[in-house]
Amino acid sequence: MKAVENIFLKGKHTLSGFEACAEGALSAGCRFLGYYPIRPSFEIIERFINRCSDVDGVFVQMEDEISALAAVLGASWTGRKSMTVTSGPGFSQMMEHVGLGVMLETPCVIIDVQRSGISEGLPNAVGGGDIMQARWGSHGDYEIIALAPNSPLEMFELTVRAFNFSERFRTPVVILSDVVIGRKKEEINIPDQKDIKIKKRKYYKGKKEDYLPFKYDEKDLIPPMVDIGQGCRFHVTGLTHDERGYPVMSDSCQEWNVHRLVNKIRLFSDQIIEVEEDQTEDADVVIVSYGATSLDAIKAVKQARDEGIKAGHLRLVTIWPFPEKRISELARKIDAFVVPEINYGQIFYEVERCSRGGAETLFVHHASSQVGQSADILKSIKKARGNNK
Amino acid sequence: MDKIIEALNKGIENAGVERRKVCLVTDIAYSPDVVDFLGIDLFHTSRGRAIPYATGMKLANPKLLPVVLIGDIATLGGNHFVHSCRRNMDIVVICVNDFVYREVAGETAPGDFSPISFSPYLSFEKPLNIPHMARSCGCVNVSRWTALHTDELANSISQALHRKGLSLIDVISSAPDLLEFYYKNSELRNDEDTLNVEIEKDRKIVVGNFFNEEKPSFIEAYNEQHTKILGDNFVKIEVE
Repeated sequence: MKAVENIFLKGKHTLSGFEACAEGALSAGCRFLGYYPIRPSFEIIERFINRCSDVDGVFVQMEDEISALAAVLGASWTGRKSMTVTSGPGFSQMMEHVGLGVMLETPCVIIDVQRSGISEGLPNAVGGGDIMQARWGSHGDYEIIALAPNSPLEMFELTVRAFNFSERFRTPVVILSDVVIGRKKEEINIPDQKDIKIKKRKYYKGKKEDYLPFKYDEKDLIPPMVDIGQGCRFHVTGLTHDERGYPVMSDSCQEWNVHRLVNKIRLFSDQIIEVEEDQTEDADVVIVSYGATSLDAIKAVKQARDEGIKAGHLRLVTIWPFPEKRISELARKIDAFVVPEINYGQIFYEVERCSRGGAETLFVHHASSQVGQSADILKSIKKARGNNK
Repeated sequence: MDKIIEALNKGIENAGVERRKVCLVTDIAYSPDVVDFLGIDLFHTSRGRAIPYATGMKLANPKLLPVVLIGDIATLGGNHFVHSCRRNMDIVVICVNDFVYREVAGETAPGDFSPISFSPYLSFEKPLNIPHMARSCGCVNVSRWTALHTDELANSISQALHRKGLSLIDVISSAPDLLEFYYKNSELRNDEDTLNVEIEKDRKIVVGNFFNEEKPSFIEAYNEQHTKILGDNFVKIEVE
């Protein structure tokens, strides 16, 4: 067995996004992988399995994605950081347990390598259609955290951050990735493990007999956890429950329950949201993009600037919660947003909603066949400028 | 207190295992009093999905002893059950077999044997032979009791807590008014071929310890396979 500190990569390494994601999970402390193999996410699973067997990592191929996420939730309650890796059709199956994970406030990470849908779709083609599914896929009202990396380095960093958020907010966190970013290879500089910030789970420190699984701290709205089998004799349920974790079938308990589950993320969204902006200070038109599309948006902004058009770029690093405030601020200053997506309009509606009529919002259907090109985005920038002359 | 919980309490006691290590994973809402009564943690998960939840728990902390109490084993939980048996996952599965989902009036389970049916036009579907299903899928510890066979059930549970791999205990259970009926209409046939323990109208319910054989459990097979390929670098799942 190698010493744990020797397993982590550090310094310069040429890695694909998928490899970097697996390395990020290891660095974050993930030691359990429950999965069901699905294209195009194999490489993450393969890398993680190869690497985690050197430490005390455990992996299991379950019978489907429903059970893969169920196993992850069960594992997480033992104190092990846990994740699953999937793609669209598998992510659809997982929705039942996304809800259970939210309700039982179970830290875990779901890596979704989006592929072209609907249904089985194009298994190996880049997709971007799971954005709203990540937000609203399970029934009932809840908030979710979702991050969208756009480089191998971010596949590493945001995977670490996803684990940190899941522990901090006690919730499933989704990485919305795709094959373009996943298969992209570049040299990345991995920090020393001791320099990587790892968020520890908030544990209950009181008397065992006094433990209440959903008694939360007023300051962060998060209930401290205990691992299973410590003798605290606790009860948790996916039913509406009180602070003891006992089912209570009343409207008032439902409000008590759901209100906090929503607010524990909504009220702290400033700690979660990150956007990256380029030349938005003087822009007339701002492209809002994420993931693979952001690489083409960067090209389009440069081309537009070369032609004298004041274009800017806002990249969503955090998809959910959505950066409502920043979009609203920009809408008051600019003429138009251009939103290219590998779908038929998902984040586009969010941008339109948040601009509240302040700026025109144009959608660009950036089909998977157009990924790698920027002509359609540039065309929309020009159209936006023409409309607002 | 529910008869099965009573037997579970006795089973844990007889097994002499550390109580806090036993955790109950259910797909049925039990009275939370169970937690204090048994002195263990309880996870009420989604319908039919308690087995994969317990699988994750066991693999992440092999010192735990997950006991799954599941109602929808043959329906929602069917595929999970099939594959847990195939893997010989190190968990105890107690099927709360009540034929009719009592909580959901009007819904019929796969096979309705009870004299009172909540299915408005009575069920016409054949019951699923759960012990045989388990056996066919590779489960090597199979037994069945009615909920009133408290001592026998407790004995099966305490043995299961010490066994490696998956143990299936099919418990014929229902609303209190039917327990006596099932108990009286049962017949003890230890070592009976699971092919012959089908539940049919106008026939006795066959109960007993049907099958018990040693076979590498999932954790043993996992350790063996990876050590064979990866050598000493592989970190085994340590049960003890």
